[in-house]
Amino acid sequence: MIALAYNSWVGSLEFLALAANTLIRTILPPYRFRDILRQVVFVAYESAPIVVFCVSFAAVVTIIEASFHMKLIIKNDAMVPGFASLLILRELGAVVSALLITSRVGAGLAAEVGSMQVTEQIDALRMLGMDPVRYLVVPRFVACVIGGFLLSIVANLVCLYCAMMVSQVSLGYSPGSFLMSMRTFVHFQDLIFSSIKGACFGAVIPLFSCYYGFRCRAGAEGVGLATTNSVVSTSVAIIIIDFVLSWLFTHFY
Amino acid sequence: MSSLIQVQDLGFEFEGKTLLSGIHLEVQRGESVVLIGPSGEGKSVLLKAMAGILEPTAGQVLVENKNLYTATFTERTQIMRRMGMLFQKNALFDSLSCGENIAFPLREAAQYTEAEIQAKVDFFLNEVGISHAKELFPDEISGGMQKRLGIARALALNPEVIFYDDPTAGLDPITSRKIIDVIVRLQKEKGSTLVAITNDMNRAYQLAGRIGMVVDGGLIVTGTEQETKAHRDPRVHQFITGDLNGPLTAVG
Repeated sequence: MIALAYNSWVGSLEFLALAANTLIRTILPPYRFRDILRQVVFVAYESAPIVVFCVSFAAVVTIIEASFHMKLIIKNDAMVPGFASLLILRELGAVVSALLITSRVGAGLAAEVGSMQVTEQIDALRMLGMDPVRYLVVPRFVACVIGGFLLSIVANLVCLYCAMMVSQVSLGYSPGSFLMSMRTFVHFQDLIFSSIKGACFGAVIPLFSCYYGFRCRAGAEGVGLATTNSVVSTSVAIIIIDFVLSWLFTHFY
Repeated sequence: MSSLIQVQDLGFEFEGKTLLSGIHLEVQRGESVVLIGPSGEGKSVLLKAMAGILEPTAGQVLVENKNLYTATFTERTQIMRRMGMLFQKNALFDSLSCGENIAFPLREAAQYTEAEIQAKVDFFLNEVGISHAKELFPDEISGGMQKRLGIARALALNPEVIFYDDPTAGLDPITSRKIIDVIVRLQKEKGSTLVAITNDMNRAYQLAGRIGMVVDGGLIVTGTEQETKAHRDPRVHQFITGDLNGPLTAVG
């Protein structure tokens, strides 16, 4: 029990050290613009189809479920477009897209770094006088922050558009009445806050993935465990950060 | 004249167990030192500690009197750029072609034009005899060719000290001999310092100026080939003769 607590404490310190190292190297030159651009394409552009596809369904489910239960309890679903928009902008768009990036980008990154660790490629980088954090973590960190920010905007807009379509087809609200209802409940700052959340969620994805990748133990099981741990930890971190940021943002209304 | 590398009272613990303790070793400039010893005794750990990629839990490693593990990041990077290493599993970058594996350190850690980089890539591939594999990926070439590529990459930045972690592991005797011939020839040409690990005594004699045996958490510096063969320690004698009966039988 004491050993477990000690290991958790040491692990937390190591994670914080990696995060601090990454931040310092992100700010200080030299900058690896080509690597960052390549990673932005991978994280943001190539993740966009799956994010758009999934959040579309999430929007459909949100609006239909909200309407069903409002009709059931208060016999009226007039506020559904507004409530659904609020839910989408405050939570759904940023959180769902972040969890999708975690499963697509974070898992792959943990496996990639873990394999490099096991096959001594990380040591080889050090022997060549290269800093693995600057070479591996920083470009992915910057790309995931940018990707998280952009994808949360895309996810929110697609979500709202899908919700509007479903409202028209299924609930009979015209796009005009949907937008009127939406404007009553949400404001432009909600989109800004959602994007900030997306950037923060994006930041933790490569940090956890690389942290577990660097600690990866030898063998296929080690790489698998590193991948699993990174996805679980990132998902939990996203939920906790979402809670903290949501609470912080309430002070701005 | 002080030694190029000094290992002073080095110790290493792994998960609460002592793997190495009280290791002392001095490596002179231009010298060849070969580490032998039973598997799992910490040879690779000692080599990595000397190379600056695995911090010991006790003692220190000095390169030109500068402690590798207390030096600033910039100082350590500068020291490590003067070193090269061939890893036991080669540690080739599997997403890059053979040519790109050599070009990578030249691009990242030095300031060469693309034409100079390509010329150096061709030169090093030719030096280790795998010019035809330039466009192939590491998983498309044989184990012996991977070793040669690893050597070429380790030499790309023209290091003063080269560490070889079991350069003939898993290779047939003829290929092993050719690999060691390449290593010895390149070391003589460049006048570099060499620290290598091997479990093959013939290759150790072929490589070494001085031999040291890592056993029971310590290092026994046995000396030259003749001194090693005449060494009185029964563990050394058993290891070099491969005798089944003796103090090393319980190890591993």
